[in-house]
Amino acid sequence: MCAQPVTDTKEAKWQKVLYERQPFPDNYVDRRFLEELRKNIYARKYQYWAVVFESSVVIQQLCSVCVFVVIWWYMDEGLLAPHWLFGTGLASSLIGYVLFDLIDRGEGRKKSGRTRWADLKSALVFITFTYGFSPVLKTLTESVSTDTIYAMSVFMLLGHLIFFDYGANAAIVSSTLSLNMAIFASVCLASRLPRSLHAFVMVTFAIQIFALWPMLQKKLKACTPRSYVGVTLLFAFSALGGLLSISAVGAILFALLLVSISCLCPFYLIRLQLFKENIHGPWDEAEIKEDLSRFLS
Amino acid sequence: MLLKAFFPTCCSSVDSGLLVGRWVPEQSSAVVLAVLHFPFIPAQVKELLVQVQRASRVGMAVLGTWCHSQQEPEEPLGHFLEGLGTIFPHDPWLQLCRERGSKSWSCKVSCQQAPAALGVPCEDQVMLIFYDQRKVLLSRLHPSAVLPDHQAGDAPASTRGLAAVFDTVARSKELFRSNQFNEGPVRLSHWQSEGVEASILVELAKWASGPVCLLLACLLSLVSAASTCRVFRLWPLSFIGSKLSTCEQLRHRLEHLTLVFSTQKAESPAQLMRKANMLVSVLLDVALGLSLLSWLHGKNRIGQLADALVPVADHVAKELQHLLQWLMGAPAGLKMNRALDQVLGRFFLYHIHLWISYIHLMSPFIECILWHVGLSACLGLTVALSILSDIIALLTFHIYCFYVYGARLYCLKIYGLSSLWRLFRGKKWNVLRQRVDSCSYDLDQLFIGTLLFTILLFLLPTTALYYLVFTLLRLLVVTVQGLIHLLVELINSLPLYSLGLRLCRPYRLAAGVKFCILEHEAGRPLRLLMQINPLPYTRVVHTYRLPSCGCHPKHSWGSLCRKLFFGELIYPWRQRGDKQD
Repeated sequence: MCAQPVTDTKEAKWQKVLYERQPFPDNYVDRRFLEELRKNIYARKYQYWAVVFESSVVIQQLCSVCVFVVIWWYMDEGLLAPHWLFGTGLASSLIGYVLFDLIDRGEGRKKSGRTRWADLKSALVFITFTYGFSPVLKTLTESVSTDTIYAMSVFMLLGHLIFFDYGANAAIVSSTLSLNMAIFASVCLASRLPRSLHAFVMVTFAIQIFALWPMLQKKLKACTPRSYVGVTLLFAFSALGGLLSISAVGAILFALLLVSISCLCPFYLIRLQLFKENIHGPWDEAEIKEDLSRFLS
Repeated sequence: MLLKAFFPTCCSSVDSGLLVGRWVPEQSSAVVLAVLHFPFIPAQVKELLVQVQRASRVGMAVLGTWCHSQQEPEEPLGHFLEGLGTIFPHDPWLQLCRERGSKSWSCKVSCQQAPAALGVPCEDQVMLIFYDQRKVLLSRLHPSAVLPDHQAGDAPASTRGLAAVFDTVARSKELFRSNQFNEGPVRLSHWQSEGVEASILVELAKWASGPVCLLLACLLSLVSAASTCRVFRLWPLSFIGSKLSTCEQLRHRLEHLTLVFSTQKAESPAQLMRKANMLVSVLLDVALGLSLLSWLHGKNRIGQLADALVPVADHVAKELQHLLQWLMGAPAGLKMNRALDQVLGRFFLYHIHLWISYIHLMSPFIECILWHVGLSACLGLTVALSILSDIIALLTFHIYCFYVYGARLYCLKIYGLSSLWRLFRGKKWNVLRQRVDSCSYDLDQLFIGTLLFTILLFLLPTTALYYLVFTLLRLLVVTVQGLIHLLVELINSLPLYSLGLRLCRPYRLAAGVKFCILEHEAGRPLRLLMQINPLPYTRVVHTYRLPSCGCHPKHSWGSLCRKLFFGELIYPWRQRGDKQD
């Protein structure tokens, strides 16, 4: 049976086309098939320290959550006066605001076209609404069990960490959802505090640490990477210190987590690159490389 | 080919003569309507046939001969009968014979113009079907519901044939009007009503009905002109009129009466039946109303009722207060927001307080009001029931208010939460494309949105509980009102006249026919008796139902549940235009 096609191949050469009638079955391929096999054409080589530097965004966000929880704990225990926290937050916000413009000498502001009056208005809206709603927030969850509140806050903060925009290009990333979850968690936790002033300060602090601080970080990272590393280290150590004052075990575990994320995970990533074996060839499905968006409009 | 001869039972024992009737060629059936006795003059017979044909618009003809004799027809008579076929040419020519005293029937069919080419005498088989002429004349055939795969006019052949028979008999009423005992030029034998003299009262009523109808129609047109007067179109009155079920009922009854007493003659039997149904329904309604009136106004029952009404309203208010106090605590161990709970509870308590004072203000006048309202029962039981329904609606006005407040609050929260939930996920509702799109919000928008979302989410259970309790109360009231409306609708729309007709004269409303075999012997024609199948009661009601008021919005259960869930107001407010987000 096979003899017939073999004799034919000597006369008619097989071509990889479907529009001509050829004396071969449809699924026939000849020996040149595997010549086009390519391996790992999209694999990237990573530098260890570059990866460590990039992982600092995750560290920063973990530390932010940790600092927020530590501050809330202090407030709940009554060890931290709300006035003091409010004053500190206000001062650091002003410093951050000035820094934000100083770093790139106002170029970002020009590009976005946002005026200082709009900033002031936003700040006023934050303060007014939070202050107005703080009595409501205080009594909001009175009848709900504390454990429920804690569980809800933990879920929301975890969601905040999961959906946060770390710079990866993935479908799961949604900075809006992440910020909303953080605010929800802060409102839940603030409603457990003893007085409405506490709740107000707590929610304000949450805005500063979850919304404003990442913006400043991004700009720092883009413009002055060296200072960014310093700031990250400082922030991480202060978070660790705060946690240490509450529980030593928690601090050790958190330190281990930070170290593993910033040092072990990059190392592991680079090791695993060696085992990468992607094959590409003519069997790949077609890929449209041209930008088609001009046809859509 | 099988030939069907429909023969009236009342003619089976009359003297010999000619068979007069209609030939239906499509069904190859001969419908015999009467027997024309000897002696006659052929020209007069033909004249009579033309007269009847003109009056009834049915093709009348002499179909054959009828022979009812002692023995087998003697030779000369037989020849004579065959000879008649040449005077009244008809194809086929029927020759029916019955021997007096015995039950043996015979039937011959001959075709004069039998095609010579075939060379065979056309020997058709004959099936004799007996029918009761009176019943078939009076009955109205209701063809069975057309199956969905049949087009209109594509009804089965048997149904059409039957309809043709019924139609023929019904339309040749003119023929039956002539009296058997009249000494006219032509003697006919057929069914005729016995005792025309006894119905002199009916004749009198018929004679009197014209002027009475005219008078009443004038009165009714006066009333309807008054009701369309411009004063009633002004805002508060028209609004109240559209919301009170009494006004709806009165309007409905006025329409009925106008139709019944209109001076125009009913065109079709269906319309006649409709008028009769309306009249009977109105009469029954008024009779029931009058009996209610006599019961109410005897032995000071109105006073007792009025004395009982105020304590009942008071009691309902007290129970509501207890319910609210229970809700203001920790009802069923639910975790409610204490502050909102207290606010809502106090608000509703104040409302009840207002209501109680209003009732007490009203209490001296209630007996007087009830007495006057009770008089309206003479307009009919349905009007009295509608008034009762309105009184219930007025006395439970506080429940309605609570329901509206609860529903509005709940609706606000549900819609707020649904749009804020979209904001929470970074999406928004695109009105132009009718879908959810992603959207980038400002920081302050996000913050305020989430703050409100949290607050609404934690306050939702409290509002939802209040909404649930008051909705249940409201549903209870609506159910009671609905039952009353159902009763009113029943009296309004039940075709009582048709039902009575079906009960006493089942043949008047025919659903179809059935055949009984009278004789089935070889060599003799098959004899069948056609009996009328009465229409089932369900179909009577379905066919002759009077149109209902249609003033109450109809909900399917699904849409009702959906509305309840989203806090949209149910009865009595109509649905607003399609909601735009």
